[in-house]
Amino acid sequence: MLVFDNVCKTFPDGTEALKGVSLVVPQGQFCVILGPSGAGKSTLLRMVNGLVQPSAGKVCVDGVPVEPATYARVRPRIGMIHQLFNLVQRSSVANNVLSGALPAVATWRALLYLYPPPFRAKACQMVYEVGLAEEHLRRRVSELSGGQQQRVGIARAFMLDPAVVLADEPVASLDPKTSRDVLALLKNESRERGATVLCSLHQIDLAREFADRIVALRGGEVAFDEPPAELEDAALRSIFGDYATGRLQPARASLRAAGDAA
Amino acid sequence: MSEALLRDSRRPPAQWRLDPPYSVRTLAVILLAFGLLWYTGQRVEIGRMLALTGEAVLAAAGIKEQSQVASGLGKLWSTMLPVQISERTEIARIENFDPDRLPWFSRVEREELREQLLNPATLQMEERIETRDVLVQPMGYLWHVAVKMAETLEIALWGTIISVLLSIPLAYYGARNYTPNRLAYTTARGTVSLFRAVPELVSALFLVLMFGFGPIAGILALGIHSAGFLGKFYAEDIENADEKPQEALRAIGANKVKVLWHAVIPQVWPQYIAYTLYILDRNVRMATVVGIVGAGGIGQELKGRYDIYNYAHVGTILIAIFVTVFVLDQVSARLRARYI
Repeated sequence: MLVFDNVCKTFPDGTEALKGVSLVVPQGQFCVILGPSGAGKSTLLRMVNGLVQPSAGKVCVDGVPVEPATYARVRPRIGMIHQLFNLVQRSSVANNVLSGALPAVATWRALLYLYPPPFRAKACQMVYEVGLAEEHLRRRVSELSGGQQQRVGIARAFMLDPAVVLADEPVASLDPKTSRDVLALLKNESRERGATVLCSLHQIDLAREFADRIVALRGGEVAFDEPPAELEDAALRSIFGDYATGRLQPARASLRAAGDAA
Repeated sequence: MSEALLRDSRRPPAQWRLDPPYSVRTLAVILLAFGLLWYTGQRVEIGRMLALTGEAVLAAAGIKEQSQVASGLGKLWSTMLPVQISERTEIARIENFDPDRLPWFSRVEREELREQLLNPATLQMEERIETRDVLVQPMGYLWHVAVKMAETLEIALWGTIISVLLSIPLAYYGARNYTPNRLAYTTARGTVSLFRAVPELVSALFLVLMFGFGPIAGILALGIHSAGFLGKFYAEDIENADEKPQEALRAIGANKVKVLWHAVIPQVWPQYIAYTLYILDRNVRMATVVGIVGAGGIGQELKGRYDIYNYAHVGTILIAIFVTVFVLDQVSARLRARYI
């Protein structure tokens, strides 16, 4: 279970990213954080593993407060998927996926790349599950397409069977068709393991399609917190302002057309 | 409407001021630089250098009869050629000489020496013919130079290995994003600067006093100086590496060493190989030089022969150095092309 207790974040330059957000995400939920750029989605997500520290309030993962003293305990239980994949481009797929097990491997083993056999087997299993083939293991990440790279990112995130998976705009740099495939994969993998997913998105249609619950942020505050069926145009307008019903819609339609054509 | 507003607020272009290509300040700096160069040029005799070189060129072209530089070069050239290939050793000076077991490709020759000697009884100069046996090894000196050259290459190799080993901790503590604290950072960066500030030749002078003549001093001198370069280059690459994969591994709780090893090193690997090959290349060249102060290798041989006026031997050594450096340059260029 993931608990945000009235968290605030003010950056040193004075930007107020979050203004008191309280949220309880039960185990196994696929919770989408929706909102326009700058709404505070990334900040909220990054507080869960301490990449951002709250200015006030606190975050608890299964009852353990997230703070510098508990990072070593909490972080290995939280997988993370990044907007720009954050893979080592020059390394092989295998080494990138295996690096997801690093916190559980002794440092001397890590230095020699001697991952214990169970992790090696797990890496193969994960690469298989995300839909890549054996020959991809040896390939450099830079040779893969964007969609394939995010699959590698997902495989890495699930290496230690995390209780929580953070997905920070996981499909923002992918085309609509690939986005759908990648989100379906993420949802599948997390459901099989009963992992909680906190996924930030800015695409309304994708949020509606995959979320168990949609939490919308606007200007650092929760503007909406309902199951996807309740997400009405009126609510959208309150989240995105005029963009939701005005300029965003045709753009979204044309994007989808492009995706279908592809 | 906003466009009209904008147009109103601007001054007419006829009144605009476009910066001149050269400001007064630029001109002043150029003049100052010229003045400074003129002054230092006088001090290091640039004028005389140009005059002598011009003279030598004219002499070479046959326009002028004599030139200090050209005649100096000619004299040097004639004493160096032909270069020394063989080695002749008087057998009487060889300990435990066994005529039945000569070294490979060698033979014994009987030499006749005519000597003018003063007869103490008659006080007359008399000619005396003395014979002696010498061991002739036709490729003896060439072989000797090759052995010394191999020693030079070994000094360069080990100097490079030592510099890589020294620079790993220096790079870790000298990279702003991995150093544990300010003190470690300052110490590492200070050490790197210090290492770089001491030229090999100078540190070799002192190391020879500490470790005696031979390759140890050379290895340490090269290792310390090039650790100054590698430590700096390695650290800067760590600082400039792509942050994204590092964040991904930090986010799941991997410690600093693991993040460095798995997210940074794979990124900077090609540059590291390039730097290290360059340092190896440079160390081979410098290893030939540090021998001059007694730190082993071909340089020590060169200095010894030069001091006893064996210019033919010096010629052999110079050719050997040139060939080695040339071949090494080709090899390292190929290696670099292959790994990057």
